[in-house]
Amino acid sequence: MTKLFNEAAIRQTAKETERWRKETLQDKGGSGSYTTESGIPIELLYTPEALAGMEYNRDIGYPGEPPFVRGIYPNMYRGRLFTVRQLAGFGAPEDCNRRIRFLLDNGATGVNIVFDLPTIRGYNSDDPEAEGNVGQCGVAVDSLEDMEALFAGVPIDQVSVSLVTHLPSVTVVLLSMYMVMAEKRGIPFAKLAGTTQNDFLMETTVGSGPEILPPQASFRLQCDAIEYAARHLPRWNPVSYNGYNLREAGTNAVQEVAVAIANAIATAEELIRRGLPIDAFARRMSFFWDLCNDFFEEIAKCRASRKVFYEVMKNRFNALDERSCLMRFHVQTAGITLTKIEPLNNIARSAIQGLAAILGGAQSLHIDSYDEAYSAPTEQAALVSLRTQQILQAETNVVNTVDPLAGSYYVEYLTKEMANRIWGYIQEIEQRGGLIQAVESGWMHREISNYAYQQQKDIESGKRKIVGVNYMRSGQATQGNIEVFRYPETEGRQKAKLASLRERRNNDIVTASLAVLREKCRSRENLIPYVVEAVKANATLGEIEEVFRQEFGLWQFPLA
Amino acid sequence: MKLVENADPTRQQVMQAIVPWTGRAHIIGLTGPPGAGKSTLTGQLARLLVKGGLTAGVVCIDPSSPFSGGAFLGDRVRMANLNSEPGVFIRSLATRGKLGGLSASTAEVIMLMDAAGKDVILVETVGTGQVEHQISHLADTTIMVTVPGLGDGIQTMKAGILEIADIFVVNKADREGAEATARDLAHMLDEFITGGWRPPVKLAVASRNEGTGEVWEAVQQHRLHLQGTGQWEQKRRDRLVRIMIDNVQAQALDRINRALEQDSLLQNLVRRVADGNLDPYAAATFVSGYLWQRQT
Amino acid sequence: MERKVVKVVMAKLGLDIHWRGVVAVSRLLRDAGMEVVYLGNQFPEAIVNAAIQEGADVVGLSTLGGNHAVLGPKVVQLLREKGMDDVMVIMGGVIPEEDIPALKAAGIVEVFGPETAIDEIVACINANVRQVG
Repeated sequence: MTKLFNEAAIRQTAKETERWRKETLQDKGGSGSYTTESGIPIELLYTPEALAGMEYNRDIGYPGEPPFVRGIYPNMYRGRLFTVRQLAGFGAPEDCNRRIRFLLDNGATGVNIVFDLPTIRGYNSDDPEAEGNVGQCGVAVDSLEDMEALFAGVPIDQVSVSLVTHLPSVTVVLLSMYMVMAEKRGIPFAKLAGTTQNDFLMETTVGSGPEILPPQASFRLQCDAIEYAARHLPRWNPVSYNGYNLREAGTNAVQEVAVAIANAIATAEELIRRGLPIDAFARRMSFFWDLCNDFFEEIAKCRASRKVFYEVMKNRFNALDERSCLMRFHVQTAGITLTKIEPLNNIARSAIQGLAAILGGAQSLHIDSYDEAYSAPTEQAALVSLRTQQILQAETNVVNTVDPLAGSYYVEYLTKEMANRIWGYIQEIEQRGGLIQAVESGWMHREISNYAYQQQKDIESGKRKIVGVNYMRSGQATQGNIEVFRYPETEGRQKAKLASLRERRNNDIVTASLAVLREKCRSRENLIPYVVEAVKANATLGEIEEVFRQEFGLWQFPLA
Repeated sequence: MKLVENADPTRQQVMQAIVPWTGRAHIIGLTGPPGAGKSTLTGQLARLLVKGGLTAGVVCIDPSSPFSGGAFLGDRVRMANLNSEPGVFIRSLATRGKLGGLSASTAEVIMLMDAAGKDVILVETVGTGQVEHQISHLADTTIMVTVPGLGDGIQTMKAGILEIADIFVVNKADREGAEATARDLAHMLDEFITGGWRPPVKLAVASRNEGTGEVWEAVQQHRLHLQGTGQWEQKRRDRLVRIMIDNVQAQALDRINRALEQDSLLQNLVRRVADGNLDPYAAATFVSGYLWQRQT
Repeated sequence: MERKVVKVVMAKLGLDIHWRGVVAVSRLLRDAGMEVVYLGNQFPEAIVNAAIQEGADVVGLSTLGGNHAVLGPKVVQLLREKGMDDVMVIMGGVIPEEDIPALKAAGIVEVFGPETAIDEIVACINANVRQVG
């Protein structure tokens, strides 16, 4: 194995750089100190010196080969373009179904379903807690019938579907509904391709709520879904470790990746404890990154995250199947960077972030719509997002060679630095007793809160510039003339459907199936089969969640 | 309550009017290092009390920022399910510069809750990690909440703690070392306590509501002990005296501060000290004498 | 004696999951010298109960979840029913421009979007809060 640059060459370059500094640069280099968003120092110029000691095969390698810095597939986008996976979700299932079909008819190759807050937090549309939220910012799903209405006419054996379920407790119910729907249509489980989000940090750390399950319980349900999928759903990604929302809540790029991988480590340990070999489930784990505005750092993050995950799976868990070591990730452009002021600027932000995702080797991509600081996207805004993806794919020629930024002194330096820092943060979490402990003790929440607070202070002071907001602000702080999406009236319709369902279904079977589920909560058994039975009996989401809340108890996260 | 918290001029009248109505409530202080789970335990105790048909007042104290004077009072989050509970009245207070783990108006807020007929008043101190002795002057029963692994901390503040705490709770007892921590505490108590009330050491996991009942049981025992020995009444008398002294001190301090700000002679003196023309000790002696004569 | 301090009760409205904004704003209001009681996620009845118990001068509601139109006015209405008309209610979060007039008509003093500078919120509170103490 040889180094990229031998020591003599590095020494020669160092000498030349010194000369250049004196003769050519002189005092034009400026004196300010520059860092990436996560705090990595940035030099004015990078030369081969930044790559001193690096070996190509060991540290960078080839796409489709360890350490997978350059991508998980040998041919990357020539083999298969990233999935254009746009978000859809609002109103009643029937309303949302129309939007799904609109996106698919216009060339989207997958869909991302987002649910309204009551669904996301495990309440029915007619629960008092749901008031004012039904069908807002996502689609309402209360029952198996709603799931069927949502996907009516959608070929779920051909389209890859991502259910943005957030919480494990909700994942196990909605995934069960999805499976029962497939079974009723005669589609074998082996054909179901898609993703559920299923991240206990969403339940206990990233999102707050009036009734939260304790970390241990939420983590158990997360692992139940992964274990079940490992055994029965060969094409399903039962978990999407959600760095995205963690980042949006308040972390930097290093923390985003490190915490998600720490969650994967905790999961792997638990499933191994349950008797599954690493190679039975590791390849079904997927990740979800938030690509913000620091262009090169985000690309380096994507490249570094693949390497760290490979090292974890290979060295720590001794994975034998190479597929277990491949980090597959979805990217969504950063909602947190979108502004309400001058919303059309968001098209530019999202396009640049989308480009970074491609240069980082993402498997699927959602580009945010310019009006997200207002409401769910209008049809027009959703189309601009879709078209942005298609422009990147078809017009820019960036997809036709693999990992085109490899070999850039700067990008390779950042990638190496990122990987080191991700490892450092993983170690910090482990020193706190692992991720679950770090959540239970409130440390994770404090990390987020402190970062968010600092970020806000930097915006207030102008240290962090946002065009149109605290930098280059035009005299009139207008919003421009954009149409704002109006949600269709949903609450009334969902309530009526629930009332009708309760009339029609056999309530004895519902009660019996919930009683079995309740009993199994106290055991260590995987709960999915019992949730499936309850779903088949037409038990509603809220009824099943209430069993969890009663059995597992509630937890309030510590926030100082 | 707003009036006393903001030291409104009518505060005096309000407090004078309610004094005869106080003295009935059982006042319980909860102190201990940060992160020990005081809020959670306080919330669980309050919940247990209302289930038993009692009413509870809860006072949570958090530090004021020394820079801005503002405060972030986050204890209610850990008692969120009590917000709609009619039997529980929660008040968050900021220390507003007062040391010792309490807020300047803690005594007054407790008196008001007492007069309003709350059966039990739970006072959760700031939890700085220091011994917060002030609470033991106000409370009938002082509970020290700790967690496994803080053994060294306990050692260093041992003397102070053993003097003020009537009950010890080792919270988060599902963690490693809980039993050992409880044992260490018990040993220390055996050495230190000679006769009278021997503080019990209880294990709890407040986040799962385990051990709350046992803690309450110990509180009841302590109350019986106080009543049996006459200390219950004594504590009430002491408390009134303590409030008087505190108020005298506060009023004196207030006058001094005002004089230093407003009296031109004193301001002149301050300037001379600042300029190095007068030594601070001589100036202090002069100012004390001057103020004392002026007041009397 | 002591100076007057503005006491603010801050809550996430209902099921809304996004806590970073409300916590960051709470800490910035603390930095501006206010006492902020943070409630976490709560529904209107509990928010109003807490506001009464705390003697709040200001109630701040945060939502990005689209429930502002129903739950916001409900808080104001409950405060009025309990005779707490002089408690100032403000909202922050992702709230469509065209919903703001209705919220203001319902008694919400101001609605702040995601790019509001903290100074603006502080100024609004100071200008509108009841005379404390």
